[in-house]
Amino acid sequence: MQTPGEEALVERACRGDPAAFEELVLAYQSLAFRTAFVLAGDAADAEEAAQDGFVKAHRALGRFRLGEPFRPWLLAIVANEARNRRRSRGRRAALALRAVAEPAASGEDPEEAVLGSERRERLLTAVEGLRDDDRDVLACRYFLELSEEETAAALGIARGTVKSRTHRALSRLQEELR
Amino acid sequence: MTDLELELRDLATHLDVPPAPTLLGVVRARLVRRRRRRRGLVFAVAIGFAALAVAFAVPGSRASLLRFFHLRGATVTLVDRLPPLESRGSLGQPIPFDGAPFRLLLPSGHRPEQVYAGDGGYWLRYPGLLLFELESGPGTEIIKKAALGTTNVEYVDVDGEPGIWIGGRHAVYLPGGKPRAAGHTLIWKHGLLTVRLEAAVGLEQALAIARSVR
Repeated sequence: MQTPGEEALVERACRGDPAAFEELVLAYQSLAFRTAFVLAGDAADAEEAAQDGFVKAHRALGRFRLGEPFRPWLLAIVANEARNRRRSRGRRAALALRAVAEPAASGEDPEEAVLGSERRERLLTAVEGLRDDDRDVLACRYFLELSEEETAAALGIARGTVKSRTHRALSRLQEELR
Repeated sequence: MTDLELELRDLATHLDVPPAPTLLGVVRARLVRRRRRRRGLVFAVAIGFAALAVAFAVPGSRASLLRFFHLRGATVTLVDRLPPLESRGSLGQPIPFDGAPFRLLLPSGHRPEQVYAGDGGYWLRYPGLLLFELESGPGTEIIKKAALGTTNVEYVDVDGEPGIWIGGRHAVYLPGGKPRAAGHTLIWKHGLLTVRLEAAVGLEQALAIARSVR
C-alpha cells in the first residue's frame, strides 16, 4: 500500500527532483539490499544489485506510471539485478543461520534451543535444495514477507503463478522434510 | 497459515543477513556522474555539429564529410564513398575467459565461444555475433567508422545510455589497423566500457541483445 506522502514523493522524483529520489533510496535501501541478498545469497552481489537497481530505477522513472505502487516496481528491478548476478556466477550462494546464542544468555531451555536450531538448519537446507523458482517464491513470501503482488513483480511472474508455485514449493518442501 | 509456513516465517528471523549498507551516498554519486556524462555527450554532439559546419564551409571537404555521430570512444562519419576495405582477419590473441582486466559484459550472461585480446580491447565471439569491449576515457576516440551517406545511422537509447546504430555496410577503423568491412553494428556505452555489437540482425534485435548484457 502506498501512502499519500510516498505517492507525492514518487511524483516529485518522476518530475526530476533529485531530493525526492534520494528520500526514496533512504526509505527502500534496507529492503532492496535484503531482497537482493536473499535472492543472490552473497553480500557483495546484493550491494551491487541494490545500487544498480536504484540507478536503473532512476533512469526508468520516465516510464513509471504515476498512481501505481512504487515498492513492487522497485523490487522488480532490484530482484532482476540480483538474479542476473546469481546467473552469471553460475550458482547461488546458500543462506546460513545466525550463530546460536548461548542458551544461558538467551534465557531459553538448552535442550529446546538445540532442537530448535537443528530443526531450522534442516529446514533451511531443504529450502536451499529446492529448484531455484520454488526456492525463490518461498524466500519472497516467507523470508522477505512480500505480498503476492510484490512477489509476482520481484520474480517477473503472474500473481496466479505465485499462488500455484508457492503451493507446489511447500508440498515439495514437506516431502523433503519427511 | 500452516505449521510449515509458520516455521518458514520463524526461520527468516534466524537467517544470517548482513546489515544493509548505506547506499544513498554511492547511488547519489553515480547519478551525479551520469548527469555529467549526459551533459558531456550533449557538449560532444554540439562539438560534432560545429565540426560539421566547419567542414561544410571548406570547399574541399564538402564532398566527403556528410554527417558526424559521436559518443565516448567512438565516432561515425558519413561519407560519400568508402575507402578500399579488407575483410576481417584475426580477431587477436585468444585468451582465457577471465583474462581481461575488467569484467566482460555478456549478452544474457552467456559465455562466448572464445575471447580474444586485440585492437586495443577484447573481442567476444558467439555464433553469428561479435562483441568488442574496451575501456575508454572521456575525450578518447578509439573506434572510428565511416559509412555511406545512404546508410541508416542513428542515435539510439540503450537502457538510458547513448548508442549509435549503423544499419548497413561500413568501414571500421580500430587502433593501429587498416579499415575493415563491417555489417550492421550497434555501439553503446555501458558504464566505463564502450561496447560494439556486430551481427546480421535488425535494430530492434540488436537493442534487445544490448539490453541483456550484464
